[in-house]
Amino acid sequence: MNDAPLATRSAVLPASARATRRRRFDDEIAFKYLMLGPAILWIVGLTFYPLAEVIRYSFANYVLGRGVTGYVGFDNYASVMQSAEFWHSVVITIIYVAVTVPIEVILGFLLAWVVNLGAPGTKLFRALITSPLFTMEVAIGYLGITLFSSQGGLVTWLLGQVGISVPWLSTAIGGLSAAMILEVWRWTPFVFLLALAALSAVPQEIYDAAVLDCESHWQAMRHIGIPLAWPVMSVAILLRLIEGFKAFGLPFAITSGGPGTSTQLFSIYDYLTTIQFFDFGHGSAMGIVVLAMISVLITIFFRQMRRRIA
Amino acid sequence: MQNVLWLRARPRSKAMIYLVMLLASAWVLVPFLWAILNSIKTLEETFQSGAIIPFLQFQPTLDSWHQVLTDSGVLHALLSSVVVSGGATILVLAIGVPAAYSLARFEFPMASRDITLWFLSQRVLPPAIVLVPFYLMMVYFHLIDTWTGLIISYSTFSLAFAVVIMRDVFRDVSKEVEEAAKVEGATAWQIFVLIALPLSIDGIVVTAINVFAFGWNEALFASAFTSRHAQTLASFILASRGTRDIDFNLAAVNTLIAIGPPVVLSFFFQRYLARGLSFGAVKG
Repeated sequence: MNDAPLATRSAVLPASARATRRRRFDDEIAFKYLMLGPAILWIVGLTFYPLAEVIRYSFANYVLGRGVTGYVGFDNYASVMQSAEFWHSVVITIIYVAVTVPIEVILGFLLAWVVNLGAPGTKLFRALITSPLFTMEVAIGYLGITLFSSQGGLVTWLLGQVGISVPWLSTAIGGLSAAMILEVWRWTPFVFLLALAALSAVPQEIYDAAVLDCESHWQAMRHIGIPLAWPVMSVAILLRLIEGFKAFGLPFAITSGGPGTSTQLFSIYDYLTTIQFFDFGHGSAMGIVVLAMISVLITIFFRQMRRRIA
Repeated sequence: MQNVLWLRARPRSKAMIYLVMLLASAWVLVPFLWAILNSIKTLEETFQSGAIIPFLQFQPTLDSWHQVLTDSGVLHALLSSVVVSGGATILVLAIGVPAAYSLARFEFPMASRDITLWFLSQRVLPPAIVLVPFYLMMVYFHLIDTWTGLIISYSTFSLAFAVVIMRDVFRDVSKEVEEAAKVEGATAWQIFVLIALPLSIDGIVVTAINVFAFGWNEALFASAFTSRHAQTLASFILASRGTRDIDFNLAAVNTLIAIGPPVVLSFFFQRYLARGLSFGAVKG
């Protein structure tokens, strides 16, 4: 941990001391810690310290302009736990994740299976369906308004042609659905890429055997593709769950959390509490509660999955 | 490479597969095409959703593009996005790549796997949670609404990612060349700079793209920490969404400018993408 200052010191050593410096640099132990040191210091300083601060603030009475005026024990937690808005945001977030992640997993796997077949034209197709993954979520949400708008929106118009009318952006369910559709659009390529990596690592002989043993394509996919890709898919699901709980830009851009506060995901609610109302005590307590919930969910989920594999 | 399952597939199955590919392509392309279409319409024409064929159904114009690209607010946001994402990329590589190399090559009293896991655990932390302390730190150091403040924030969130991926990349590079150089009397530093880095350039590029794209696309911290001077495109778009009704044609141009750079970059670097995304859990 003390190696970073040492590096600064050695950089300003006079020329006569360079030989010493070189010897020290040759020394593997110094070298490896010098290389690792800055990253460790950075993470400790900018992750652990803030996390410790969040815990402190969660017990504090914070007043804008005066800072922490005192500590209130678990009062912040109590009022967060009793807040209907908070629980609403948690439920909305869980729905958001529970709907989008399974769809992404299924679509991503199917597309990976198709691409892994290597039909002519696949390369271009692969690059094409990967592209949403790099789009700016806020911009996609913004574009989503023009897709789902009741006036001039493409989706509204297309559905109108077949006589269906959906109040996309004026209702909570409509707005949330629009956000979830685009969320699936944005993140399916993530699962796709991981699933593809898993499927392409399967030895050709196994596919050869599949041709002989399986009656149909579906069977080959069910009996070979899914089991062999499962370990990687479980990693993909885990990462998507973690990322899903962080969803912010896309839903916020398309619904602004509205109408009213009906589509406020947790991240949006926490953001507004903290940055718009500067209620740091409650914002922090909320963060800790959600972090605890996510950790528990992910631990349970991971245990279940490991059991299924074994 | 063609899979034997494809070669032996019945014509009907082959047709099905192409149908799936066609539908998926359409699904992915529609939002992009819609944005392009609206960007060359006038505001009035954007309300005629059925007008989708340029020249025939409406007269395309580059007016919206001209209007957006001469708007100093947009241009400044674009500059901020480039500086902040670029700055974070450089900083993350400068700190993360040496750390990754160290973890890949040397033994530590704590198992290297544990350190890696510890880096990974940073990922679970939702950014919304550390918003408060980060905000106060930024206030304390007078970094609110500055490029530096955002660069520091983004570097923090990308560092763990870069370390884990690059460690994997270095592990894949053959050690033999490095051993030979060592016998020739090269210092550890020389081996790192002159041998390990050039051999891992692919991985470095993909890591850089991921870090860049993260900074480019991030909206939560950008909105919380910037208001005017350092406003990135992401927070600019979020802010303009709240203030007035949306002009579809201008929204389309903004969207295209905002999503363009990372998407184009990703097209050129398909290798390592899967590995990068899965934190090295998957070899791609």
